[in-house]
Amino acid sequence: MLRRITNLVVGGVLVLTLGVITAAAFTKTVTIKVEGMKCAKCSGSVAKALKATEGVETAEVSSDKGEAVIKYDDQKLDETKLREVINKTGFKAVEQPSQ
Amino acid sequence: MMIAFSAASVLGQQAKAPQFVLRDINGRTVRLSDHKGKVVLINFWATWCPPCRAEMPDLVKLQREYAREGLQIIGITYPPEKLDRVRRFARNLKVNYPIILGTRQLKARFSSEETLPQTVVINRDGKVSEIISGILLHEEFDEKIKPLLMKNGEGEIRNVKTDH
Repeated sequence: MLRRITNLVVGGVLVLTLGVITAAAFTKTVTIKVEGMKCAKCSGSVAKALKATEGVETAEVSSDKGEAVIKYDDQKLDETKLREVINKTGFKAVEQPSQ
Repeated sequence: MMIAFSAASVLGQQAKAPQFVLRDINGRTVRLSDHKGKVVLINFWATWCPPCRAEMPDLVKLQREYAREGLQIIGITYPPEKLDRVRRFARNLKVNYPIILGTRQLKARFSSEETLPQTVVINRDGKVSEIISGILLHEEFDEKIKPLLMKNGEGEIRNVKTDH
């Protein structure tokens, strides 16, 4: 009985660890320069549109720095899609070499 | 441009929308009360605001596609802008709903929040059902505005197209 419980606990921990490792492996963070975010009043739309996109986990947008820091699931979308979402808000995601 | 508007009111959800009578950029009188029974979107925007410009073609499309269901969009520039610039902009975008030159005072009647664009959603009963900050997303239209269009004046469900 004790052995069975131990096996169950060990199995559960393994599954959980694997799940965390897998999720972490799929999560990427990218910083995208955004042109035109001169007014703080209107740059909120960038964060709003990004956060509403499936696969985006977090999006921090700074009009001062002119950039968006996005954490996303790279199994669900890629940087190209993120740039499209930004461009649809009327600003321009600047193309730059991948880091 | 402004002819009159109602006394100050504190706007929250389900608050009665402040009435106004204003002239649009083409000199036509726009009364909020003329749209009683419709779902009205009051869109605060500025020509220099990139998301405002980006969403306007979508608003034009929504106005065209949902007019028969009782959707009426009214654009109000905020902060104040020059008439010729706004007129040129509206003409280029083929805006199919009234555009009014706003004032800080008028904007304050609806919301104290400074975000642009900003869309005040008024239901068929003339009450504010939502204030949407930032660009109007398709999902937001589906979740927050389409259900209002689906109900007629008596609260009965109507058939409303599903795509836009």
